[in-house]
This record gives sequence, C-alpha cells and structure tokens, in this order.
Amino acid sequence: MAHKLDVKQGTLALMILRTIEVLGPLHGYGIARRIEETSQNRLTLNYGTLYPALLKLEQEGFVKAEWRQSENNRRAKFYSLTAAGRKQLAREAREWHRTADLIAVFLAPKKEAP
Amino acid sequence: MSYLRVALARLAGLFAGPAADDDLRAELESHVEMETAENVRRGMPPGEARRQAMLVSGGLTQAADAVRDQRGLPWIESLGADIRYAARALHQSPGFTAVVVITLALGIGANTAIFSVVRGVLLKPLPHRDGEHLIYLRQSMGGPGGANISFSVPEIRDFREGVPSLGSIAEFSPWNLTLQGDEGVSRLNVGLVTGNYFEVLGLSAVRGRLTNSSDDGPGVAPVMVLTHEYWMKHFGGDPSIVGKPLKLDGTSVTVIGVVQAAPFFPGQVDALLNMVVSEHHLSAQMVEGRTHRMTEILARVAPGATVQQTRAEVAAVYARMQSADPASYDPGSHYGVAVLPYKEVLGERARLTLWLLMGAAAFVMIISAANVTNLTLMRGVHREHELVLRAALGAGVIRLRRLLLVENLLLTLLGATLGVLLAIGGVKLLTTLAERYSPRANEIRLDAVVLGFTVALAVTLALFLAFLASLPKEGTFATWISAGTRRISGGLRRQRLQRGLVVVQIAVSVMLLAGAGLLTRTMIQLSNVSTGLRTEQVLAMDVPLMTPSQMQAGADGDAKERYERMRREVGALPGVIEVGVGSNMPLQSSQVVLELKAEGKALAVGEAVPRAEYRTAGPDYFGAAGIPLLQGRPFSTTDRDGSGRVVIINQVLADRFFHGEDPIGKRIAWTGDVLRFTPFTGDWRTVVGVVGNTRDGGLDAEPLPVVFHPFAQELAFSGSLVIRADSNVAGLATGVTRVVRSIAPAALIENVLTVAQIKDQSVAPRRLNAALVSSFGILALIIAAVGIAGVLAFSVSARTTEIGIRMSLGADPGRVQRMILKEGGTLLATGLVLGVGGSVFAAKAIQGLLFGVAPHDPVTLMVVAMMMAAIGIGACWIPAARAARIDPAITTRAA
Repeated sequence: MAHKLDVKQGTLALMILRTIEVLGPLHGYGIARRIEETSQNRLTLNYGTLYPALLKLEQEGFVKAEWRQSENNRRAKFYSLTAAGRKQLAREAREWHRTADLIAVFLAPKKEAP
Repeated sequence: MSYLRVALARLAGLFAGPAADDDLRAELESHVEMETAENVRRGMPPGEARRQAMLVSGGLTQAADAVRDQRGLPWIESLGADIRYAARALHQSPGFTAVVVITLALGIGANTAIFSVVRGVLLKPLPHRDGEHLIYLRQSMGGPGGANISFSVPEIRDFREGVPSLGSIAEFSPWNLTLQGDEGVSRLNVGLVTGNYFEVLGLSAVRGRLTNSSDDGPGVAPVMVLTHEYWMKHFGGDPSIVGKPLKLDGTSVTVIGVVQAAPFFPGQVDALLNMVVSEHHLSAQMVEGRTHRMTEILARVAPGATVQQTRAEVAAVYARMQSADPASYDPGSHYGVAVLPYKEVLGERARLTLWLLMGAAAFVMIISAANVTNLTLMRGVHREHELVLRAALGAGVIRLRRLLLVENLLLTLLGATLGVLLAIGGVKLLTTLAERYSPRANEIRLDAVVLGFTVALAVTLALFLAFLASLPKEGTFATWISAGTRRISGGLRRQRLQRGLVVVQIAVSVMLLAGAGLLTRTMIQLSNVSTGLRTEQVLAMDVPLMTPSQMQAGADGDAKERYERMRREVGALPGVIEVGVGSNMPLQSSQVVLELKAEGKALAVGEAVPRAEYRTAGPDYFGAAGIPLLQGRPFSTTDRDGSGRVVIINQVLADRFFHGEDPIGKRIAWTGDVLRFTPFTGDWRTVVGVVGNTRDGGLDAEPLPVVFHPFAQELAFSGSLVIRADSNVAGLATGVTRVVRSIAPAALIENVLTVAQIKDQSVAPRRLNAALVSSFGILALIIAAVGIAGVLAFSVSARTTEIGIRMSLGADPGRVQRMILKEGGTLLATGLVLGVGGSVFAAKAIQGLLFGVAPHDPVTLMVVAMMMAAIGIGACWIPAARAARIDPAITTRAA
C-alpha cells in the first residue's frame, strides 16, 4: 500500500483555499472529499486536522462560513472564499510555484562535467 | 496584519460560550451524516456505514478539542482551571494556607513599608532638574560645634572665581523672621538667597515667578517665594496670595511666587527671600568679612565636569585661601571643606537608620521565606503521591509544574496583598520617623516602583517554591508510584535542606535579637544619662521680644523690663516655686559659639583656639532649671548694667582653662575676628561661679563649654522663661502663656515644653529604632520557634515506625525523647553559634547608632543566646514528648 502523506498546516490551507476557489462554496465534508480525490487518495484528512484549519482560515478572514441547505437537503456549514482569501490564494500559489521551481533546479539530475 | 486578526479572534473565542460548541457539534455531525450517506450509497448497511464514518473521523471528541484549541487560547483556559484547582487545594488545607499567608504578609509587609521609605528618602531621583549634578559644600572645623560652620561671602567669591568645574554657585543664608498675620504672629524659617538660587537648584515655579538676578543687590524691592509645603499649609494652596504683601518684622514683602515641592537643605524652610530683606546681609561687614560665616553654598557641576574634578579644584582653591590668610584659618582647628552630592547630603542623617531597618526587614523576610519553604516541603511530601498519579494519568510534568507555580503564586500574592495592607499602616508610622532625619520624608509613597518590588519578591518566592518539589521525569512514573506513600520522609537531600533552613532561621533570629538588644540598651543608657539639671516639674518656653532692628540699635531696655514683669507675674501664679530668665531654654543650645581666651594663658603652637557657647541667665535661672552651682556664687541682682562684668562658666570650660586651679576670680574674654560681626564685646570678664554641665546638644553628645553672662548686663538677643513648680507643671502652661501674652501681646511664644519633654526628644528616635527592631526580633523568634518545632514534629512523624521498633527493642520513652531533643539541640546549637558570630560582625555596621554599649557587648549577646536557647529547647520539647508517647504496638502493626 502506498505510503500516505501527512499534510502540513500551510499546505493544507492552500489546498482548502484552492478547492473552494474551484468548486465554489463548500462544506467541510466536500472539501475533505475533494482533497482526497485530487490527491488520488494519497492524503487522508481527519476532522481534527481539517476543522481547526478551516477555523484558522476563518479567523484570518480568508474564508467565511454560513449554514445552508446542501444539495441533498441537509443543513451544512458552507465555506466560501472572501476577497482577502482570493488574494491570499494567488500569493500563496505564486510563492509555492517559485519554491517548487527552485527546489526542482536543485534536485535536477547532475550534469557531467565537460 | 492577520496575526493581530487571529489574536483578536482567539481572544474573542475565549468568551465564545456554549453556542459555539453547539455549532461545532452540529457541523461535525453533519459531516458524519454525509459520510454515512455516502457509505450507504456505496452499499454498506446503515449501522456499518455510520461506524465506518465515525472511524475515519479520527474521533469526534478529539476533533472538537482540536477546534476548541484553535478557537480560543488554550493556555489561558487551562490556567483558569489551574487557578480554580489551586484555590480549592489551598481551601482544603486552611491551616497551612493561613500560616503561610500570615508569615509572608509579615515579611513582605515589613519589607514593602521600609523599602518605600528607603526609596523615598535615599534612592528616588531628586525632583530638581538634573538633580544628580547638584552639590553642597560644607566647611567644618575640629572641636565642638564645628561640624558645619558655613561660609563667608569672600570665601564664596574665591570659589566662584577659582573653581571652573562649578558651573554656578548659589548662596543660601538661613534666617528667621516674624510674620504678623491676621491671627497673631508666627515664626517664619526662611532662606535669604541670591537671585540665581532657583536656577542653580533646577526648580520651577508652580505659581507666579521665582527670583532672578534682578532681585540681587541693594535698592531692589524685597520679595519672597513661598515653598509649596508652606503655601499649602498656611494659605491652603490659594493662588491669589501671589502679588500680595506680607508683613515680616515690620517690613512689607511681596509674595512673587510659589516654588514646586522639593527638599531644602540644610533645613526645611517656609519661604525664600532676596538678600535685601536683611540690611545686614548687604552690609560691608557681611560682604567683606572673611570670618563672618553665615551662608551655605549650593552649586551645580558644570556640564562635562565631574564631582571628583570639583573636589580637586575646591581643595586647591581652599589651600590657597588658607595660606593667603592664616589668621582666619588657625591650623590647630583643622578647617576643611567637603564637596557632597546634594542627594547624598539630603539622606546623610537617615542613611544608617534606614539601612538598619531595611536589613532587619530583610532578615525577617529570610526567616519567613525559610519557614514557608519548610512548610511547603512538608506539605509537598504528603502531596507527592497525588502529583505523581496526576502526571501519570496524563497531566504531564510541565502542566503539573505550572499547577504548582500557580498554587504558590496564589499563596505569595495573597501574602503580598495582605503585606501591602500592613505596609500602608507601617508607612505612616515610618514617615513620622523619617521626618526627624530627612527633608525628603514627604516624598515617601507606596508607588508603582515599590509595589513592583513587592510583586517581584512574591513572584521570585513562588518560582522558588514551585521548583522545590521534586517531580518525576516523563516516563518514570511507575517507579515513583510503586515506591508509594512510604517515601514520606522525603529523602536525605530534602531533610538536609529543611535542617539547613532551621539553622538559618535560628542564626538570623539571634542576629535580629542581638540588634534589638543593643538598640534597647542604647536607649536605656541614653535615658539614664544625667542631663545635668532637674527634669521633673520644670516648664520652659522661648519668648523672643527683640526685632532685628532693635537688636541692631542695641535698644533692649523695653524688652528687659517686660522680661522682668513676666518673671514676677508668672512667679506669682499658684504652684510656681521659682522663675528664671535666660537667653535660652535648658537642654537647648544658643547656637552662638565664639572664640574665647583666658587671661595669662597663651595657646601652645598648633593648639586649637578654644571656643564656647554664649548664653545669658538671670539670678534665678540656675535655681529654676536645677543646674547645680559647683563653686563660687550665683548671679545676683547687683550684677547689672554698669557694674563689673562677671560670668559663670560650666565645668567643661573650667577644666579646659583652669585645670587644677581655682577658676573663681580669673578673667576671660571673647576674642577673634568674628566678634566684629556680633553685638557682643571682648571685654575682660571675671569668673564668679562654676555650674555643672548640661547635655544641650542631645544626650549622646558631649557637653559643650558654656559661658553664662548676667541677663541684665548683656543684650537680650533672645529670652526664655524657666519655671519650676511644685506639681503638675504641664498644667501650668496655659496659665503662664496667658500671663506672657498679656505682657507681650505681639510676641512669639514658642517651644512651650517641660524639660522632661525636651529630654525625651533626644531619646524618642532611639526608642522607635529599638521598638521596631525589637518587634522584628520577636517576630523572628516566634517564626523560628514554630519552624524548629514543625521540622522536628515532621521528623518524628516520618520516623514513627523506626521509633516504634526501637521502643519494642527496649528503648525507654526517656531515651527516645532525648534522641529527638538531641536532634533539635544540634540544629539549635549550630544556629546559635552562627548567629552569635554573625551578630558580632553585623553590629559593627550599626556602631554609629549605638550609645554606651559596645557592638560586641557580651551581656547582650549572652542574654540573647540564652533567650533563643530557652525558646528553642521549649519548641523541641513538644515533638520530643510526642515521640516518647509513641505506642510501639500500634506503630509496628500499622507498618
């Protein structure tokens, strides 16, 4: 069985923000599902990780939450992106790309010395 | 940015309440439901679907906890729980809590009160602008009355020209004036100052203006600046006083302003005036006379210069002054000038006493901290098991340590709060003490710095106590738990610490008691000093009648006539036996000290010029005051103006001049350059009598040489009545005052005191010192006795089984009792030896406060050691007797 990865707090926030950006307002269950699917089940999120992260994003003002009817008529708390959240996501994504590129350069296969 | 936002949100989260929890529960529940529905959709049976959903959640409770931690500030929330727990724990052992809180309150209260005085009087920065640059110059000479002889104007001029590191020099001449107000006359203690005085001192006006250079010299209007204290006391802080004239000795002087509250030196004053107020201060005599010293120097060190530099420059200029005019500085008298920082000189009289009290309070603190430590150690042993269990059950060592800290903080802060309440009362008492020693006494406050000191004391102690208890390391709980409750004796290390603390308590108590004993003996010795006169049933009062202008003109006929009427009419009051008139009251100095010579006695080379105090006395003065006539005759009514000039000298002077000879019939005369500036003549005067010495400079000061002149033969520059009565002399005061008032309606009547009261003024400060240190000593003794008894009792209860075994093996109760007594006796003896050694050492430091008793006084040390030993043995007896009553049958079975 493939080794499952732990999610780091900062990365998780980015994943959540991105998920909500793509799918629009979403409840915690939906977010968890989506992240697991997107990661092709390499990640599992338990509640004790997900909900504190959501609350933190709410405290930071990047998402806002409200109770709504879900698609199959259940009441659920839906999280949607705020303007600040949108900006934060763009910023974080940029940072992430930059870091990834940098690391990729470092980890590129060694070239033989001429 | 977002950090602040999160912090605020979390702070708000602290108060989120149950609604937020309901919301969270609903959200998690909805998650589980959706997960369950999904599982059902995948074909699971509903029960299994829900179980699986719960399984992946990772536990709803844990999740809820994690969210709660993110929502609020978990640190603070659990702190609240810790406080509640600690309060409950303390509530459950009320005896322990009460003893600890009271012990700490006494220690912290004493320290807080005394520290607030030390800070107010010695440490606090001066209210003057750049107060650390202010300095005070003091000229002194050897011999009696030479401690501060102040400066003459020519001397000040030399310093002003020759010492560049003194940026500016202000002159201050102490003076007193009579204020004629609406409700009678009152005395005004003032300073006559140069215009730059306030500028040099760095003081500002709170009302009106201060003096400046335009107020210097002759021909200007006389003006006065009130001190803040006098303005508040006499004018109730009324701003309209500025610009109004006051009548001072018949002259009208305008109040131009009020200066900010500040300490004045060399003495507290009511107002500061320009020199023009006193004709004398601008006269050629004053301005040109090098020996006419009546001005104090206050100066400011120039920017960039240091006090050391000033000292060197002043010394150089002073040496030049002395060599240029040897007649004004006779080498035998050891003239000298000291350069003293103003802040230091303001505290000089209070310093030793205050550090003594601070030291005593610190000792009390050491003893109470030791006691609290011991109590905590003993309590900790009983709680250890509980703590280990809690740690093992998941509280964690860090959390437990924090719990202990919270508990101890609660204790020490409770003690500190009670201590501060005690200190509030103590500060009032100590302020009255400090007023005797320092002009800064009104700056004493229980302010933020003092309270900070108190809190720091409490927190330090709490930290120490919290880290005293030994807690197991994470992961070693099992061994601790299996060791179980047997570990009650608490290990050797802890027992050593306890014993060490008891030894410290005893040693420190002995030191405090020794100090108390020495100070008490000082006080007793002092009150046993013979004043040299009758102290019972004698009343005295100052009634100065002459104004400065009358004094200048030498017109004292009217005054003398009125003094004579007072003497007769007061003498006619019922109960009065004898009334005398003299220049000043018994046991008080006239402050007039002049150079003296005896006929046919040349001074040896390098011998100090003899000096004596000038006084006058009527024929009945000695009889009324009870000053014994040792030789010759008293003054008689025939010693008057125009008759041969005669004097009576005191024993000290007779010994100085006529040692081994009969002084009667010898002649003496006042001499010296300074005589030019006084109303007194240098005529030869014949000694007709010798009287006993009196302790006029305080009971601890050696008597000064004194020359009495017939009151009728000399200028009545001041006047006092001495009244001897048959009984209840204090009750006579009103009657006498009424008679005096009728004869001199506009005169000041001051210092209406019995001689016993005057004597007591000299003893009272020492009595307060002795009482304070004694109460500290007794406090220490009680705490130490409780300490030693407690530790022994603890030791007995820890050794109950051992003692039971010993007894069942044949040890009789007497032997057991001796064993415990020996254990206590060793501690006691060690403490006593250390304490007595420490006392000898510490007493040297307070030598300056002692009188008539050596710092290593063996009697005091012996009495103190015996007292401590007796009480210590008594304290050991109780646990020892309990040990002897141990029933071996019960204890061995219980084990």
